[in-house]
Amino acid sequence: MSIEFKKIDYTYSVNTPFQFVALKQIDLNIEMNKVTAIIGATGSGKSTLVQHLNGLILPTSGQLIVNDFVINANVKVRNLKSLRKNVGLVFQFPEYQLFEESIIKDIAFGPKNFGVPEDEANKIAKASLKLVGLDESYLEKSPLDLSGGQKRRVAIAGILAMEPDVLVLDEPTAGLDPQGAKQMMELFKKLNTVHNKTVLLVTHDMEHVYNYCDNVVVMKKGEVFLNSSVNTFFENTTYLDELNILAPNIIRLKNMLKNHNIDVSGCDDIHSICDKIVKELK
Amino acid sequence: MKIIDAKNIDFSYDEITHAVKSVSFSVERGSYTTIIGHNGSGKSTIAKLLIGLLPCDSGSIHIDGLELSLSNLAKIRNKVGIVFQNPDNQFIGATVRDDIAFGLENHRIDSNLMDDIINEFAIKVNMFEYLDSEPTKLSGGQKQRVAIAGALAMNPEIIIFDESTSMLDPQGKNEINNFIQELHKEKDLTILSITHDIEEVCKSDNVIVMFEGKILMEGKPCDILNQTEKLVACNLDIPFAQKVVNELRLKGISISDNLTLESLVSEICLLSLKK
Amino acid sequence: MASFTLGKYLPYNSLIHKMDPRAKIIVMMLLLCAIFIPAGFIGYGILVVIVTSIVLVSKLNLKFVVNSMKPMMFMLVFLLIINILVIKTGPILFSLFSLDIYLDAIMQTFYIAIRLLLMIMITTCLTATTKPLELTLGIEDLLKPLKVVKVPAHEIAMMISIALRFIPTLIEETERIMKAQASRGVDLQEGKIKEKIGGILSLIVPLFVSSFQRAEELAFAMEARGYSPGEIRTRYKQLHMKYGDYLAIVFGVLLNIVMLTLSMVF
Repeated sequence: MSIEFKKIDYTYSVNTPFQFVALKQIDLNIEMNKVTAIIGATGSGKSTLVQHLNGLILPTSGQLIVNDFVINANVKVRNLKSLRKNVGLVFQFPEYQLFEESIIKDIAFGPKNFGVPEDEANKIAKASLKLVGLDESYLEKSPLDLSGGQKRRVAIAGILAMEPDVLVLDEPTAGLDPQGAKQMMELFKKLNTVHNKTVLLVTHDMEHVYNYCDNVVVMKKGEVFLNSSVNTFFENTTYLDELNILAPNIIRLKNMLKNHNIDVSGCDDIHSICDKIVKELK
Repeated sequence: MKIIDAKNIDFSYDEITHAVKSVSFSVERGSYTTIIGHNGSGKSTIAKLLIGLLPCDSGSIHIDGLELSLSNLAKIRNKVGIVFQNPDNQFIGATVRDDIAFGLENHRIDSNLMDDIINEFAIKVNMFEYLDSEPTKLSGGQKQRVAIAGALAMNPEIIIFDESTSMLDPQGKNEINNFIQELHKEKDLTILSITHDIEEVCKSDNVIVMFEGKILMEGKPCDILNQTEKLVACNLDIPFAQKVVNELRLKGISISDNLTLESLVSEICLLSLKK
Repeated sequence: MASFTLGKYLPYNSLIHKMDPRAKIIVMMLLLCAIFIPAGFIGYGILVVIVTSIVLVSKLNLKFVVNSMKPMMFMLVFLLIINILVIKTGPILFSLFSLDIYLDAIMQTFYIAIRLLLMIMITTCLTATTKPLELTLGIEDLLKPLKVVKVPAHEIAMMISIALRFIPTLIEETERIMKAQASRGVDLQEGKIKEKIGGILSLIVPLFVSSFQRAEELAFAMEARGYSPGEIRTRYKQLHMKYGDYLAIVFGVLLNIVMLTLSMVF
């Protein structure tokens, strides 16, 4: 089981005046059963990168390996559908993809497309809805009657119902209030730790990267700038400065305290930092 | 002097969604007020009520001494500009130039004067080089800057930001937030910003906390943002520095409220010198 | 979808680009009229020369314009077959498997092909040399006299310009929803008819929902900025007719007279 990008290039609108190179020589290994954040400025190629994972975009050159699937550039891909079942991709603002008259039908839509019989699909749909934290009373409601945050949960349940091994999300917390965003991130963490899913998420929020992710891939101008563990990434302030990224609050606090000769090394949450401060003050 | 004065305003979208429940508040001229609240707490509805996009079911709104009513609508809209959330859905013109002109045309400004006004406000929001660009060629932050220029070109007394940064990337958020701070320096302009960004709230003069259609608290950010339990109860965040303060207090340190990390760290340093 | 070139504005700097949109629309109408006057070979000869020179003066690529005929080829072949079967007048050209082919059948098809080509050249010329916004302003002005019979000229123009403004946005949105549903296993290329219908629904419903939401938000934004349909507004872009513009219109009228005379002579 692995996700590997090997020397992948991707160019939009080849041979037209609009030609645009979005990805350049991507060599990348994604660790399985972890939560990986993909970050980078707008237009750095994040979305193009993740759309390769379920074959929505096929590489212009290079090779992509996702579990048992091998995609070579310019070779016709067979079995794209089963790749899509394996890698669940949740687009930005996924609430806009809801369309059925009831929530249960909408969630069961995905599995049915992949050939799961109706009653089985409904069973999975119920389980998926529970997984995203909505109870059974919602099943027969119209998805259009829900609040924004609930719609998004239902849309994510629709992807989870395909029972993918890998879950990819493009800015899943955009537009949610802080509480809604927090619950969403906790859901992904749970899917990873309890349900053993490999989670990749495109995000701009460094607090989320720090608090919920294991690894981070930094994209810059169509290239992989860095692929490392979250801790290594944030320890090194030169990266953050170079990328013009504001560090998460905890890191900023640690750096400020360090500048004032208060030693907080090895602390990575608010409690342990406060313990150190207390020691310093008493 | 009060420039916005809302008394007992009430609004329901239908029988089930009672969005604003007998809300009263006022805003001082030239101040910078933020409204925070969970999604669905009624804060965006209030913005739409203030410029008469939605009619109040009951209660009254006075803008600059003028009562909001059907006959006064045009006058009120002369005084209030608004920038909405979605950058795409408020860009009306074919190019930046035409979009800024849209409002001027509605206000029957003479076409000979328009170019000067358009240039002035395009320069102000730093979009002068993009005057002839189409919206598809612009980033979200740039489109929002155009929306701000369009609103400012009307010479409003009040400008409302209705979650104007929530769909932007960090760079766009920064651009717009910095611009709001700049605008605040202009003494006569009143700013009302509906936001989720707790860091922005810290910079405002006043904050109103909405919860389920009602105003739960209002006051200076430093008096509101330290009320951890209340804020958490209405699904809101508290500033990180305040979280650290709370944690330190639990561990027996006496320390004052702090909204920013900078002030928190300098207080800790002071305390460590005194020990 | 970037290949969507027919009807696209091409920002060159030419005489035709500088013309007043109102004059351009009127001349286009006159030219279209002229095309439908049956003035025989000479008439079409004149028209082809005139329209081709207009295209060249506009600095448009002639090949690009002719290429936009390609999708019509199938239709033309189909028309040729029907004409061969139906039209039985004029001298017999030759026989094909005991089917007599008449000259008029070939000529009819040829005329239609020429008319189509000319129509496409003329309309492409208009849309490629006129900014969509100017085009709508032109339409608005030309519709103004119809206000007497309660035609809301300004509102129509506003609707057209908003529609034009949102085409790229909606194309983007459609692509996004297609990809999102493809990720849920929708396959519009293969699969059974029933599945395909479900797949199409999964595109259309979200597109409608989001368009309505956009429309609502846009209406709020327009109203907040003081727009009120039916109210008097000033106009930023002012149109000015120049000598050349009047000359072009006169020329268009003359052309029609020439064509009419030709059609009566032959």
